[in-house]
Amino acid sequence: MADDLKYGYKGAEPTQSFGNNTGVFDPNDINNLIADNKWTSFGQLELIETQTVSGVASVEFTNLKTDIYNVHFMTMSDYVPTTYGKIIKVQLAESGTYETASVYQFAEQYNGLSAGSASFGETKSTGTNSFNCFAQQTTTNGTNDSWNGYCYLYNLGDSSKYSFSTYQTSSTFVNSVQYYSVFGSSVLPQASQVDKIKIFSASGNITNASISLYGIRYS
Amino acid sequence: MAGQLIQVATETVTSAVASVTLTGIDSDDVYMLAFNQVIGSSGNNNLEMRVTESGTANSTSNYDFAHKKLDATGSFSNQSTTNNAEFQLNIQVGNDSAFFEENEGIVYIYNANNSSEYTFITTETVFLNPFSGGLNGSQGGAVFTSASAVDGLNIFFSSGNIASGTFTLYKVV
Repeated sequence: MADDLKYGYKGAEPTQSFGNNTGVFDPNDINNLIADNKWTSFGQLELIETQTVSGVASVEFTNLKTDIYNVHFMTMSDYVPTTYGKIIKVQLAESGTYETASVYQFAEQYNGLSAGSASFGETKSTGTNSFNCFAQQTTTNGTNDSWNGYCYLYNLGDSSKYSFSTYQTSSTFVNSVQYYSVFGSSVLPQASQVDKIKIFSASGNITNASISLYGIRYS
Repeated sequence: MAGQLIQVATETVTSAVASVTLTGIDSDDVYMLAFNQVIGSSGNNNLEMRVTESGTANSTSNYDFAHKKLDATGSFSNQSTTNNAEFQLNIQVGNDSAFFEENEGIVYIYNANNSSEYTFITTETVFLNPFSGGLNGSQGGAVFTSASAVDGLNIFFSSGNIASGTFTLYKVV
């Protein structure tokens, strides 16, 4: 309903909630309801949290809103590690405790280019301690090097299902002499509810990165 | 609302059906299909897809696809066919939910509504292999080589029914 009703009439205001909006709305009303998460818009890509960090040991997402979302989407921009040549690790927590054992599986294809020479290959494991979201390839911190990509995560909140990911990355490597793109998938083969995600370097800290976690409503 | 997804259609299968059809593509925007916990009624089949025109699946031999099968326990392989009767999203899918063999995946759809352009898709899927129990995935692309107005998608297994799963079509705006 409009904030200022005409002709001095003001009736009883209905309760507004997601899936139950009643009245005539002007743009200001809609913006206010969106801000309050009360505006009905099915299928939203909803930002849960963005973390832009520098000089940290890890990035953690501790509010996954798995009661709302079956599928999550995560993006990473401008990831640079403090230590040269280390992979990005991702671990999932069950009941608050991170799974650090070598129980994760992944399979990924890398597509590389170095000084005009192409390099393609596969990397895989059925027993690693990282749930891959951004490739299990070494990252570097030279001039203009950065790691970028996205990841879809499935079933995090379903205690009866395994948690899966599919991902793609694009990066420069070794002082931008090399280029890598990677696509792949990963699984935590344990039927459990995941409640936290941690991203960190296999050694050292994260010099800088911007990582966003979204939920895909009604997927 | 830039950079948002708008849900166009969704279907959750709880009892076996031969296929799922989602329509509602009516603009030149990019569209996205998310499928979650999809499993067939019989094993060792491929998850496949056709486009719909005016709500009817097109089964002509106008589908070209190429994707890489990712396998944590075996060799990766290239999967490709031209002039096929459907898109192939992945291969050798199991049907036992007790062994967590459900499919998860994302498909982006390009140029579908444009009647003067071919319809392109990119795909990424993941599931557990019914034979090895290991992680399988597939990523690639495909094209429907007919300049026509596509208004939806028809998803099915190469044999048998879809036993369960959720399919949701979004418009990317």
